[in-house]
Amino acid sequence: MNLPLTTEQRDIQKAAREFAMGEFDPEAALEYDKDQQFPKGIWKKACELGFIGAQYPECYGGQGCGVLENALIVEAFCRQDSGIGIALALSDFGSELIVRHGKEDQKKRILPAATNGDSLITLALLEEGYSRAPLATTAVKTSRDYTINGTKFFVTLGSMASTMIVVCQTNADEPHAQTVIVLERYLHGMEISSMGEKLGMRMIPVDQVSFSNVKVPLEHAVGKENNGYSLLQDFFHEVRIETSAMGVGIAQGGVDRALEYSRKREQFGKPIISFEVIRNKLADMYLETEMARCMTYQAAQSFDTGKPDSRTILVATIIASRTAYRATYEAVQIHGGYGYMTEGQIEHFYRDAKALNLFLETEQMQRNMLADQIAGIGLI
Amino acid sequence: MFEADLYNQGHLLYRERFKEFLSKEIIPFYDQWEKEGIIPKAAWKKMGAKGYLCPWLEKQYGGAGLGLEYSFILTEEMAYAGVHGLMAGLHSDIVAPYIYSFGNNEQKKRWLPGCVSGDIILAVAMTEPDAGSDLSSIRTTAEREGESYIINGEKVYISNALLSNLIVVACKTASENGSPYRNISLICVEEDSPGFSRGRNLEKTGWHSQDTGELVFRDCQVPESNRLGEEGKGFYFMMEKLQQERLVSAIMSQASAEGAFQMTLDYFRKRRNHSEISGEMSAEASTMVAIATDIELGRSFLNSLIRDHLKGRDIIKNVSIAKWWTSDMANRIISQCMELYGDYGYLEDHRVARLFRDARAHPIYAGTNEIMKRIIARTLGL
Repeated sequence: MNLPLTTEQRDIQKAAREFAMGEFDPEAALEYDKDQQFPKGIWKKACELGFIGAQYPECYGGQGCGVLENALIVEAFCRQDSGIGIALALSDFGSELIVRHGKEDQKKRILPAATNGDSLITLALLEEGYSRAPLATTAVKTSRDYTINGTKFFVTLGSMASTMIVVCQTNADEPHAQTVIVLERYLHGMEISSMGEKLGMRMIPVDQVSFSNVKVPLEHAVGKENNGYSLLQDFFHEVRIETSAMGVGIAQGGVDRALEYSRKREQFGKPIISFEVIRNKLADMYLETEMARCMTYQAAQSFDTGKPDSRTILVATIIASRTAYRATYEAVQIHGGYGYMTEGQIEHFYRDAKALNLFLETEQMQRNMLADQIAGIGLI
Repeated sequence: MFEADLYNQGHLLYRERFKEFLSKEIIPFYDQWEKEGIIPKAAWKKMGAKGYLCPWLEKQYGGAGLGLEYSFILTEEMAYAGVHGLMAGLHSDIVAPYIYSFGNNEQKKRWLPGCVSGDIILAVAMTEPDAGSDLSSIRTTAEREGESYIINGEKVYISNALLSNLIVVACKTASENGSPYRNISLICVEEDSPGFSRGRNLEKTGWHSQDTGELVFRDCQVPESNRLGEEGKGFYFMMEKLQQERLVSAIMSQASAEGAFQMTLDYFRKRRNHSEISGEMSAEASTMVAIATDIELGRSFLNSLIRDHLKGRDIIKNVSIAKWWTSDMANRIISQCMELYGDYGYLEDHRVARLFRDARAHPIYAGTNEIMKRIIARTLGL
C-alpha cells in the first residue's frame, strides 16, 4: 500500500524492520515470554540505534521525530515479535509527560537516560477499576514537599524502572485536581510487589506499588499543580497512537506468519494456501490490517500537525486492537494444532494481542469516549 | 442452565453429587496441577472409584450401566468449572467407545474394567506431523509379522500422551497404494509394548494440566489380537466415532462459555450493588445480554443434538454445526467476559484468563472448524 510517508519516514521504517529482523531472535523471544523477562540486551541495542524515544527532541537524546515515526518503529518491532515489540515500546512508558510538560532540568535528567539505555521509565496511574477521577492516591502539600499515600496497580516494570511518574489527587474536592509527580529513585515508604503472571505481554512485568507517607520535593511536580488530569488527556492521545501501532504490527505479524505457514503446509496433496477458505481468511486478515494501518498513520499525523484528532485516534486504537486480536486468532487457526503450541512463533502473538483492549482502558471505555465525541457531549 | 427436560430427577441428583465431588477432590488442587503440567494418576483413580469414568459401560465391564448422558453431565460440569484438563470425557466418551464398539469380547474384558477403575487411561492417536485435517494421509504403518504387527511412525498433539496406558493407534495396514479408506486399521498399543516411546509434554496456550505430546513407534511390536475390528476398516470406525468426539467437544465449549458467563454475571451483579442503579441499560449490560443470547441459542441446539444422538439418529450435519459454532462462540464470549473484567482478567490468577487460553483449542482439535464446514457443505450438496 502506498501510504503518504516521506522518504525519511520510509527510511526509519526500513531501519526498524531490519533491526528487528536482525536482533529479535525467535527462540530467545520464546524464552523471554516464558521466563517473563524484560529483553534487556535488545533494549540496550535499540537505544544505541536511537529507536527508543525517537520522538523526543534531539537535545534530550531523541531523534526529533514525530509520533508517526515512533509508531512506525513500534509497528515494525511488534510485527517481528509481539512480546519484544511491546516491551520496547513500554520501556519509557509515561515519558511523553516529561517531554511535553516537564521542567527543563527534568527533561535533561530523565529523557537522555531513557534513550541511551540507562533507565527504564514507568507511569503509576491505574487504581482499582480504571478509575481516573478522583484518584485514591493523594499527594498532600507542605511547604517543602508532597506526601504521597495510596496504591497504584498495573505499574509496568514497577520494580525495574528507575523513573516512576505518579499521578496523584491533590485536591480531594475537585475530581480533576490531580498532579503528576516524578520519582527518580526508590523512596522511603514505597512498596513494590508483583501482580503475578499475565496471559500475555509477559516481557513487561506489572507491579503493585504502594505509597505510605512518601515525601517528594515540590519541584518534582510535572507541569502545573492540579493540572495533571488535563495533561493526561493529551498523553492518552500518544498512548492510543502507540497502542494502535502495536496492534497493526501484531496483526501484520499474524498475516506474515499465516502466509508463510500456509505456503509451506500441505494437506490433501497441496499447500493449504491453495484452498479458497484459507485464502479468504488471509485476505480478510490483510484487509483489516491495512485499514488499521491507515487509521493509525492518520491518527499519528493528526497529532504531529499539532491538532490531535481525538476521534481518529480513538477509531485507530479500537480498530487496531480488534484487528490484532482477530488476525492472530485466525493466524492460530491456520496453523492448526501447531498454532496452539508455545514452541511456535504465532502462539504468543495471540496472547499478547489480547492485552491491547484491556491495558489502561477497555474498548468499552474507548467506545463511550468516541460516542461522547461524535454526539458532541463532553470533552476528552 | 442445563435444560431440565433432557434430564430427570436422577440426572439432577447425579449432577449434584458430581459437583460436590469436583469441589472436594478436583477444584482445590487444579491450580497446582496446571502449574505442574499434569494431572496425577491418583485423581483419575478417584474418579474411577466413584464411578465417574465410563459410567455408561455395562456392569459386566465394571461400569454403572448408565445412559451416555450421565457421562455428558460429567463433561459438562468439568468444563463449566473449568477443570477439563482431567480429560475424562476423552477417555470415557471418545476412546473407550472404540474398544466397546469394535473390540471383541476378549479385548473388552481385558481392557474395559481398567478403563472404569482408572487403572487404564486411554488415548487415541490419529494426527501426525503431515496428517492433520487430511486424516487419510497418515503414514504410520503396521506390518504383519507372524502373529504380530510391527508399527512404525509418529503421532503428534496426542491428548493423554504421557498418562495413557493404552492407545488406540490409527495405522496403515496395507502398504500398496490402495485407497486410504480401505487400508487404515485401529490397533491398541499398550504402554509397555517394545518399540513404543513418548515424546515430551508439549507446552500449549492453555490446557496446561492436560498432557499433550508425541508418540513414537519404532518397530513397535504388538500382538495381532490388539487390532480393533476388521483390518482396513479403521477410517470408517474413526468417521463413526468422530461424531461423538465432536459432540463432546461442543459440550465442553458450551459449558465453558456458560461457566464464564455465570461467573461474569455474578461479578457484575455484585458490583452493581455497590453503585447506583440508574435504571438505564448500560453498554456492558447490553454485552451481557448478547452473551446470554448466544448461550441460550447454543444450549437449545446442543440439547436437541444430544437428544438426537441418544436416540441413535444421524447427527453428522448438526454435530459439525455445533462443533464449529459453539467453539467459536465460546472464544467470542470468553474474550468479551475478559474485557468486562478489564485488566484484572488478564492476570493468570483470574479464572477467565485460564478459560480464555483453554477455549482457543476447541476450534482446532477433533477436526478444525474449517473441516466442520467442509462436512456441512457436503451434507448440503455443495
